[in-house]
Amino acid sequence: MVIAEIKSLKDIKKMIENFKRVLIVGCGECVSVCLTGGQKQVELLSSALRISSRNNKEKRILKGKTISRQCEPKYLENIKKDIEESDAVLSMACGAGVQALSEKFRKIPVFPAMNTKFIGVSDEEGNFIEMCAACGDCILSLTGGICPVTRCPKGLLNGPCGGSKNGKCEANPETPCAWLLIYERMKELDKIDDLKNINSPKDWSKNMRPGKLKAGI
Amino acid sequence: MSVNAMPPCQAACPIRTDVRGYVYAISKGDVSEAIRIIREVNPFPSVCGRICTRACESACRRGQIDEPIAIASLKRFASDETMEQKDVFKTGPYYTEKVAIVGGGPSGLTAAHDLALLGYNVVVYEAHDELGGMMTRGVPEYRLPKNVVMNDIERILSLGVEARTNTALGKDITVDELMKEYQAVFIALGSEKSMFPKCKGIELPGVITAVEFLKQVSRGQRPYLGQKVVIIGGGHTALDAARTCIRLGSPDVTVLYRRTINEMPAGRIEVEEAESEGVKFRYLSAPLEFIGRGRIEKIRCTEMRFVADESRRRRLVPVEDSEFEIMADAVILAIGYNPRTDDIKDIEKISGKRGTIVVKDDTGTTNLKGVFAGGDVVSGPMSVIDAIASGKRAAIAIHRYLRSLPPKENEEPTVLRPLDEKIIPLIEKRPQQKMAQLTVEERIKSFKEVNLGFTWEQAISEAQRCLNCGAGAEISDDCVRCLNCVRVCPYNVPVASDDKPKIDISQCQACGICASECPALAIDMKLETREQSMNKLQHAIDAVKNITDNASEIEFYCHYKKAVKPETEISKGISIGKPCVARIDISQFIKPFEEGCTKVKILACKDRECHFKECGNWLNKHVNEAKKILEESGLDPEQLTIVYD
Repeated sequence: MVIAEIKSLKDIKKMIENFKRVLIVGCGECVSVCLTGGQKQVELLSSALRISSRNNKEKRILKGKTISRQCEPKYLENIKKDIEESDAVLSMACGAGVQALSEKFRKIPVFPAMNTKFIGVSDEEGNFIEMCAACGDCILSLTGGICPVTRCPKGLLNGPCGGSKNGKCEANPETPCAWLLIYERMKELDKIDDLKNINSPKDWSKNMRPGKLKAGI
Repeated sequence: MSVNAMPPCQAACPIRTDVRGYVYAISKGDVSEAIRIIREVNPFPSVCGRICTRACESACRRGQIDEPIAIASLKRFASDETMEQKDVFKTGPYYTEKVAIVGGGPSGLTAAHDLALLGYNVVVYEAHDELGGMMTRGVPEYRLPKNVVMNDIERILSLGVEARTNTALGKDITVDELMKEYQAVFIALGSEKSMFPKCKGIELPGVITAVEFLKQVSRGQRPYLGQKVVIIGGGHTALDAARTCIRLGSPDVTVLYRRTINEMPAGRIEVEEAESEGVKFRYLSAPLEFIGRGRIEKIRCTEMRFVADESRRRRLVPVEDSEFEIMADAVILAIGYNPRTDDIKDIEKISGKRGTIVVKDDTGTTNLKGVFAGGDVVSGPMSVIDAIASGKRAAIAIHRYLRSLPPKENEEPTVLRPLDEKIIPLIEKRPQQKMAQLTVEERIKSFKEVNLGFTWEQAISEAQRCLNCGAGAEISDDCVRCLNCVRVCPYNVPVASDDKPKIDISQCQACGICASECPALAIDMKLETREQSMNKLQHAIDAVKNITDNASEIEFYCHYKKAVKPETEISKGISIGKPCVARIDISQFIKPFEEGCTKVKILACKDRECHFKECGNWLNKHVNEAKKILEESGLDPEQLTIVYD
């Protein structure tokens, strides 16, 4: 799941300062699930912007809409009329959603209300943790299902490094050492001997941007 | 379980009163709304508020935690407080058909009420000189004052129902005659003919029936029966007669009952009240012979005991050699009643056992075309609410008969399950409010009503004990499956599933936390929907704008903490009551500022955790997040404050 957070209100206000009719568009997928860009946040952002517009004696009309999935052009059709009635759009989706929107409605400025952070999972307590760097060449089969490319700040393919202390990383003492986690997991899987193999350097050509996937349809 | 599952109180009520609805209205101090909900189905709230058998209270799930909600007392409160409201919704008549109701008791009058509202011309024939049946002729004033019954009856008559008193079926009118003038007839004669024990000496002067005795008293007569009075029987009428004797000055009043207090139809509370007034009880005792020279002097009795027969059912038999005598200046018989239909010739075709009328089904349809019957004349003596229910069913059946509609199919509702054991300890205990009563000294001197009714504070406090069963969370198709509801519920009710999370409506406590935390606004509470909530807020914002431009302050307060009458702060419109302030989502705290309000105040509970679990923490979280938004928007976050008191 894509994790994104809302930009500061100051940044958002700056983006829309020259526009009178602004449409805020939420997304019903990842950003709703990580509690940052769903219908509730669309309403809160609209409210916040109305209050500051009122404070600054700016006349601005704010409207909010949330669609099922912003990265699907077909769903974007549903807001065509709202877009036509607006001068600018604030997208509360991930970067992909923002671009899908601006591609679909090319004549209207589309601004991101969010900073897209990473691909992550929920820890069941309302926190989201990065788990995947989308490197294009998955090695989780070699590392007991724990990704060192993402979870080791140095992205080491053979670890740990000398900076691992009491199970934590030298780069951030709150971050567990990914390689220690891998070691423990391999032990549980009774595959500890596999760690004696040296992983060869990563083929970063598979991470060529922009990525493209042709689905078999 | 369907989100529309019925609360057990409503399902237990023979007329399916929306108990949750009116109790919630009282909890907000809105008695007008409460009585509106009650009167939708029940034309006798003043009566049922006092003498109902209260199946709802036995079913109430609050009873799993401490004590059930005092539902009948709340109904009485709603009716007492609105006694002066005479606004009657008069509909018809829309139809030309006329319906005759024979019998002006609760069943007949209810049918008359419902048929009048359906748009028919209705005439009620009553054998006595006054309407009300056992409500005015049987139940003594200290339990059910006549003026409150008459108040309910006047409302029924004001719908255009015509009453012809002193007109008895079989004597002054016949069914055949009625069928010539009317298109349908509903027979609801009641069941007032006393049964007699098979004993010698029953004809002795001084042996009277409870019905006759209570009728005399209801007419204002005050017969003194003597020093020693013995009442035979264990039902409500027996106790009514006994307590009436005490009030009429007899110092030695004994109720003689064949079985034990556990089998007594009158119920323990009534027995206790009678005992405190001085009535004596002799259980497992039955009369054998009434003895006296020219007048009753004593009763020869036997003790009784239960024995198990072959089918293991308990049977009551006399105890050998246990005979004893009780002295009596008077004996009142209250062992049972049958309908009095012997001399009504033209209903012979539909007569059943012991004077009853035979009906085909519970709609009251009989074998005579256009003739319906209901109430005690069909069932034998039952409670007032059963009589009302049968009147309602008959009204529907008559309407469908007259309009040639197919009979209404009975739908058995899905009923909420009991509370799970793991939820019970999470719910705050709160004892039932006890209604004030006259002292025993005051009671036995007069026929003044014993139970004095709830005060406003008591009624609101009692109504607030309601768990609002089944008025909780509903998840719409907007759900994004984030499972936030599963994480935040203080009662651990929502559970993850392959599809949307599942919220068991039987267990949801309607605290509203999941709804306030749902990122997709996909959860709504039946208790107060998002739309209702937003409308209330908009109303308050508009009101504040109208009052003045300067002091624009909106206040949220908790229903559970502040019991207010509607004519005080609420009517000003700027104070918004909530069934717990923790359920208010952030957008509601900041919306007033969008429209220029300068201050939002939340009156919260001092102990931070009152009606719902963890509510204090959630309120703080919501307020802190709202403050952050206000600050970012350029306002002073202190414009939003929580006031604890």
